[in-house]
Amino acid sequence: MTVEVMVGNKAAATGAKLSRVQVAVAFPVTPQTTIVEYLNEFITKGEMDCEFINVEGELSAQVVVQAASRIGARTFCCTSGPGCLYMHHPMHDTSSLRLPVVMAVVHRGNKGMQPDHTDLMSHIMTGWIQWYVENNQEVLDSIIMAYRVAEDMRVRIPIAVGYDGYILSYTAEPVDVPEQEEVDDFLPPYKPTPSLMPEDFDPKAPLWWRVPWEEHHKVIVDAKEVIKEVNEEFGKRFGRSYGNGLVEEYRCEDAEAVIVAMGTIASTARDAIDNLKAEGKPIGLVKLKCLVPFPYEDFQRIGSEVRAIGMIDRNVCLGVGGVGHTFIRNAIYDLEERPKVLGFHAGLAGKEVKVSDIERMAEKVLKAARGESVSPLVEWV
Amino acid sequence: MEKLTIKDIPLEEYTITPGSACQGCGPALAARLVFKALGDKVIRHGVPSCPDSVTRTPHTFSVFESAGAALTGISRALKVLGRDDVLAVGFIGDGGTYDIGFQALSAAAERNEDILWFCKNNEAYMNTGIQRSSATPLYAWTTTTQVGPRGRGKETPRKNLPFIVAAHHVPYVATASIAFPTDLIGKVLHAKRLRGFRFIDILCPCPTGWRFDPSRTIEVARLAVQTGMWALYEIIDGREFRLTYKPKKLKPVEEYLRIQGRFRHLTDGEIEEIQRMVDENWERLLKLDEEGEFPL
Repeated sequence: MTVEVMVGNKAAATGAKLSRVQVAVAFPVTPQTTIVEYLNEFITKGEMDCEFINVEGELSAQVVVQAASRIGARTFCCTSGPGCLYMHHPMHDTSSLRLPVVMAVVHRGNKGMQPDHTDLMSHIMTGWIQWYVENNQEVLDSIIMAYRVAEDMRVRIPIAVGYDGYILSYTAEPVDVPEQEEVDDFLPPYKPTPSLMPEDFDPKAPLWWRVPWEEHHKVIVDAKEVIKEVNEEFGKRFGRSYGNGLVEEYRCEDAEAVIVAMGTIASTARDAIDNLKAEGKPIGLVKLKCLVPFPYEDFQRIGSEVRAIGMIDRNVCLGVGGVGHTFIRNAIYDLEERPKVLGFHAGLAGKEVKVSDIERMAEKVLKAARGESVSPLVEWV
Repeated sequence: MEKLTIKDIPLEEYTITPGSACQGCGPALAARLVFKALGDKVIRHGVPSCPDSVTRTPHTFSVFESAGAALTGISRALKVLGRDDVLAVGFIGDGGTYDIGFQALSAAAERNEDILWFCKNNEAYMNTGIQRSSATPLYAWTTTTQVGPRGRGKETPRKNLPFIVAAHHVPYVATASIAFPTDLIGKVLHAKRLRGFRFIDILCPCPTGWRFDPSRTIEVARLAVQTGMWALYEIIDGREFRLTYKPKKLKPVEEYLRIQGRFRHLTDGEIEEIQRMVDENWERLLKLDEEGEFPL
């Protein structure tokens, strides 16, 4: 293992390289662009044995990886904001055909260049597993883990690994880079099932067609167990893991309230929680990494342990509300004793979220936990 | 192209009959001829279109606009897996080629992807019920170019797609017809031996959409060529041009137009206008053929 100081986009490209990706495709879009350049550099230098295709747009990028994955190549693509939205149509089929494509999404909102999670969240109904990660180390590790989960025969569902544009994409952090042999041991070669090669093909076999809705939904729900398993095994082999793979609880022991955050806001929230803990305040942090499939069971357990939950959404489902807020309320509804669930919209269109902002949100959540009256309205920070 | 006689056409069948095609379906015959010539080392790719090309070979599908990208993915995956012996073959309608699939087609051609693209061209969106495409000829009736006091069918001539593809300087571009099977298969066999982007546009009459009796598909297809409405040629490396069917004299377009319901409304003046267009185009093609050079 070697430590290298690298930007988030290099961490993503390095994750793809270590995963021995065979077909990589991308169309440049800020702030994803340098992933494409790093991949091209790795391939040109001969460090990576991979077909790299400069396509004419993101829709084609998605279709190229979909088709190549079906033939039997391990595939990678990456995008941001508008490019991510342009991919929408074929993304449905990548999941419906149960192809283990992995894609890095460098978050960029649709009202400017700056990050929020509305790009990837616009794809909630496409049937992709969605992870939102916090730092460059987690970018690299999650891409390797994503192939292991996606290619598991119990799953065979594509995975998007999202990280905040600029905040991570162009910011350098030290990253432990695993040795190639260690990754090879963790991640066996990909085999398509069934094979489409002429000698294996049986014209009488059922068509490889879109999986029906109910089965499709259940496969994605059941992927939670595989994600947990893979996260745990990654921890044993590499000495790092990320909560249970779905959520990560930070200093939640004896907490009466928790803040829930995604992506880089979770990093900032760790400092806020440390400050509040130092003052003896009973609050913890839950990092929500896996939005799809949604970890209902984890939030039911957390919801039965605390009196208030505050969700910080770096997104808005217009006319509906925060995605995380809505999902968490859904998760806790069946509990006998429900905690209060407060919602906050923060960091949209890249608006800065400071430690003090999170402390203030946390104070409001603590107030609700003490049973004091707080406005039930979702707050725009 | 390879020179063949009818006896050289392979006996093996790779399409499964009966398919779910209409009676007299032109594209179904195109599929039968094309896949005979290609053999069994094929992955056939399709996008939404009429279900007229069911083959015994492995097959894939993808969204309507994406044939060029999907064929790229298939071909590159075959390459990285060391399977250069398997052909990535697109069998795509004129909608998926001329219109919604045009961007991905152009991009794949520019990258000179190692793929074979067959356009089963029936000059409209037949799968959704006869709506015009940019392959629909001038004045043809379709359900979206209707005929009445304010409409005379399609207002513009079709896009010259084979020339546009040839302008990408790809190894092989050809036009073909189901009524000229030795010409068609000769072109397919030639294309099969090349590498890079190869494109064959096959005119396939559709009795349902063109409004003629299903027993006359071959006759209509033959007249399209004999009248010059659909010329047969090949363009090599975007440079060499050659007509592969050169009658001494073209038949009048009226013979082709009058037997199809989609042209039933045409006035003598409109037929004359189409005749002038065809004559001019034929003169130009003869000149290209004589010089042997593609002008772009």
